[in-house]
Amino acid sequence: MKILFLSLVVVVKLLAFSADEIIKKVEHNIQSESGYYEVTMTVTTSRGDRTMKMQSWNRGNEKSFIKILYPKKDRGITFLKIDTTMWQYVPKIEKTIKIPSSMMMQSWMGSDFTNDDMTKESSIVKDYDAFVSSEDEKIYILTLIPKEDAAVVWGKIVMEVQKQNFIPLKAIYYDEDDIEQRTLFYSNVQLHGTHYLPTTMTLQSATKKQNKTVVSIEQIQFDIEINDARFRKSALKRYSR
Amino acid sequence: MILLKMAMRQLLSYKKRSFVTLLLSTFSTAIFIFLNALSDGSHNQIIRSSIEVYPGYMQITNRKFSDEPNFENLIFDVQRVKKSLKNIKEIEKYTVRFETFALYSTNEHSIGGMFNAIEPESEAQISRLKNSLVSGEYLNAEDTNALYIGVELAKRLNLKVGDNLSFISSAADYSFAADNLIVKGLFKTKLYEFDNSAAFVNKSYFDTLMQSENIATHIVLMPRDIKEVDALTQIVQQAIDKDLEVQSYKTLLEDLILAMEVDEIFGYITLAIFFIVIFFVIAIFAYLSVYSRIRQIGVLRAIGTSTKQIVAMLLIEASILGFISVAIGGAGGAYTSHYYEKNPIEFSSLSDVNVEEYAKQYNMVADATLPAEYNPQKIAIEMLIMFVLNLLTVIYPILMINKFTPTEAIRYV
Repeated sequence: MKILFLSLVVVVKLLAFSADEIIKKVEHNIQSESGYYEVTMTVTTSRGDRTMKMQSWNRGNEKSFIKILYPKKDRGITFLKIDTTMWQYVPKIEKTIKIPSSMMMQSWMGSDFTNDDMTKESSIVKDYDAFVSSEDEKIYILTLIPKEDAAVVWGKIVMEVQKQNFIPLKAIYYDEDDIEQRTLFYSNVQLHGTHYLPTTMTLQSATKKQNKTVVSIEQIQFDIEINDARFRKSALKRYSR
Repeated sequence: MILLKMAMRQLLSYKKRSFVTLLLSTFSTAIFIFLNALSDGSHNQIIRSSIEVYPGYMQITNRKFSDEPNFENLIFDVQRVKKSLKNIKEIEKYTVRFETFALYSTNEHSIGGMFNAIEPESEAQISRLKNSLVSGEYLNAEDTNALYIGVELAKRLNLKVGDNLSFISSAADYSFAADNLIVKGLFKTKLYEFDNSAAFVNKSYFDTLMQSENIATHIVLMPRDIKEVDALTQIVQQAIDKDLEVQSYKTLLEDLILAMEVDEIFGYITLAIFFIVIFFVIAIFAYLSVYSRIRQIGVLRAIGTSTKQIVAMLLIEASILGFISVAIGGAGGAYTSHYYEKNPIEFSSLSDVNVEEYAKQYNMVADATLPAEYNPQKIAIEMLIMFVLNLLTVIYPILMINKFTPTEAIRYV
């Protein structure tokens, strides 16, 4: 009987997922080799709501291209991200600007997301050590601690992941003093091929309770062919029109 | 009257001793007055420069702005505040500012910096921005796309007057804002950090781009009487909305003022040490002077002069010396203070210290002059202190010789 019990424990342990495996499965759900998205972003502040619409193309985690469609005055603004570097083209001034590292913590287009979020969102596996801090029947709670040499701004991220399909539910971001700064909620999960994708993300500031940014994916195409030209600096102006 | 005559005769009989005491006392009075004037002058200059370069004597902001300087915490009805300020006679002038950040970009560089909107005409009367112009022109109320930029920031962006650059920023409604600008003028306030990060545009142009019509981050006030700034702060606070607050330079530059006060205390300690040395030198002279006359005092007592009369005579002697030395020393100290108030000492000519590097390190205005402050009222108090100290130097010897009986005093060798 004792041997049977011990064997059962060993089998359960073997079946259990490591934190890194969970993160990889989560990333499989929310990322693709290549993809096209149409996104609506609504920024809510104490002074009202502001809505933006945009198109986005990505190749893996390393390359992405965003074009603003709405509001009219911002139409044609484009962003190119290659690894952790970001450029912006502004049609009004006809100029391509590289966002310097000193501006990475500035707001991205007036939202609660920062430029840093737009470039480093995909480097969780690379920059953080993850471990399962607790779990129940339905949820894993992962704690992500930055690696010693990682150039990241967060002191800790606590992520809730649904066990059944490895869907992220929420991620709480803490600063270096372990003070909660913001929470990213994931909702409206849709199945696209093998990807269980939360199509709504709500970023809620812990310090400015009245502020939030809601990102809704309106349209999505996974694993599509995207021309290499889309991810060159020249594309910023070329695809701005 | 006879005591006065006797005191005068004593001073004249021992000319050398009287002269040395007089000289010491005169010298220390003059030094005391001048060093205090120099200390006050330099501290006031540092504080005044720091206020007048840009921050101003009083600022109105949203109550939450100093802790959370974001677009949620702005002054959302500038006209209403202006209307309230018009009724306050104690305010001489005011100006409106909107301060935010932008990414400045040329063909070669992109650098983040302060992007500030000002009302050029009223700003020129409140801060030293206009007077800090070193190249090109200052802004005017009709300017569009014209940038007035700090020399150090311009250097980093490799810009000169007439050059083009662009900026991108968030407007007051959080929308995206960008435009092309032309450098109209360069300024150098000698406050390195400010010159290295700040640039200004005309507010009416800024408002059209940044959706900031009737909105501001700061309203800066100039009081008619700077000394009444505390009382005026209370008056203004009562006149404006409760979600706004007014702060004087004493709060805005609290750390600098505290640093100056600490420095002043150390200055007083140094002065006190110098002063104690001088005091004891005079005291020793006074002691020797009185003790060398014990026999003479014994004779005076023996022929019927009372102890009180002896004390009065010695005090009159000290008073005459004290009065003359304080008058001469005070006049000398006052003249020197007045002269160096008008013609500040050129610090760079006295020392190898690199003033700009020093100022950069402590985020102070790099001013290489050291002015004194001529304050007649303060000088009069300092002269009075010196006079009292002169009298104190003879108290101990007087008390000592009064212990002698006339016979002991006459026999004293």
